[in-house]
Amino acid sequence: MQNPASHTERQHWIGVLARASRSELQPFEDALRDVEYRLIRAPEIGMTLVRGRMGGNGAPFNVGEMSVTRCVVRLADGRTGYSYLAGRDKVHAELAALADAHLQGVQQRHWLAEMITPLATVQAERRAQKEAETAATKVEFFTLVRGEN
Amino acid sequence: MSAQLLQPAFADPVLDAQRGFRAALKALAGPGVIQTLHATPSLEGLAPATYALCLALLDVDTPLWLAPSFDTPLIRANLAFHCGCPLTAKREDARFALLAADDLLDLGGFDTGNDRYPDQSCTLLVQLPSLYGGAGLVWRGPGIESEHNVALPLAAGFWRERERRNEFPRGLDLFFTAGDDLIGLPRSTRIAEERA
Repeated sequence: MQNPASHTERQHWIGVLARASRSELQPFEDALRDVEYRLIRAPEIGMTLVRGRMGGNGAPFNVGEMSVTRCVVRLADGRTGYSYLAGRDKVHAELAALADAHLQGVQQRHWLAEMITPLATVQAERRAQKEAETAATKVEFFTLVRGEN
Repeated sequence: MSAQLLQPAFADPVLDAQRGFRAALKALAGPGVIQTLHATPSLEGLAPATYALCLALLDVDTPLWLAPSFDTPLIRANLAFHCGCPLTAKREDARFALLAADDLLDLGGFDTGNDRYPDQSCTLLVQLPSLYGGAGLVWRGPGIESEHNVALPLAAGFWRERERRNEFPRGLDLFFTAGDDLIGLPRSTRIAEERA
């Protein structure tokens, strides 16, 4: 978890877990919960301020507040799993935290292959589809030079 | 990362924090009256009442100063995680401080507020082995109808030190904790020796 390669890996799977929907995680629920664990921070809902930059490089401004749910679990063997996700779904937060904890263990390969990779594929497809739909509505604006002189 | 050290805190974060806050308010409103907190979590080195006060009062806007006896990785990790409070090594920056009985003879450096904003003073949380068994003193002042006998096990030097730092409206408010119990000592309380 300390070396940078696995750090980005963990960021990747935490991101995938956060973007997944609860129904996509529920098939794994029994396997995820089939281990002794306790809640260090029970799932809780809060607010966070989202900031943005116009065009990705303008001056930062406050977009607005959004609800966020977070959770931290500890497995019996000491692995600690974290989750932060948009929305108010406490079950989702707990499952995502459990998944993060499982993914740090010896069965990482199994969990990556069974859960993260398929979820990431589905998410990439969803995103590509959405981008294609959005691209179809793109409008180009032209400014005509008026002959004033 | 100190993830291994983290432990669960309040079982019911909202209501437990409100109970802790309520107990703290009552303790300062009625100086010397023991308030008892039930079903609070404890952390190695911190009494349940101390930990409950920390969880109820500390947040990201309240830098905390830890006395050396409380400055353990376990306490640091859990307070930073559950309260989100910054830990400071400079007494001047602290809004709250966590002390043991031995640390009370020198209260120099803690912010006593200013005449315009006396409320910006540092609040001291003092963990004691017990709230009884010291020399009996008479407490008088706001929140006490006539007088109150309290026998906190504290060195006489502390009372002189408190007097020295107390220039009303500036001064230090204290909470004394032991086990599940706590006692408040606001700056407005006047202390006198018990008459025989």
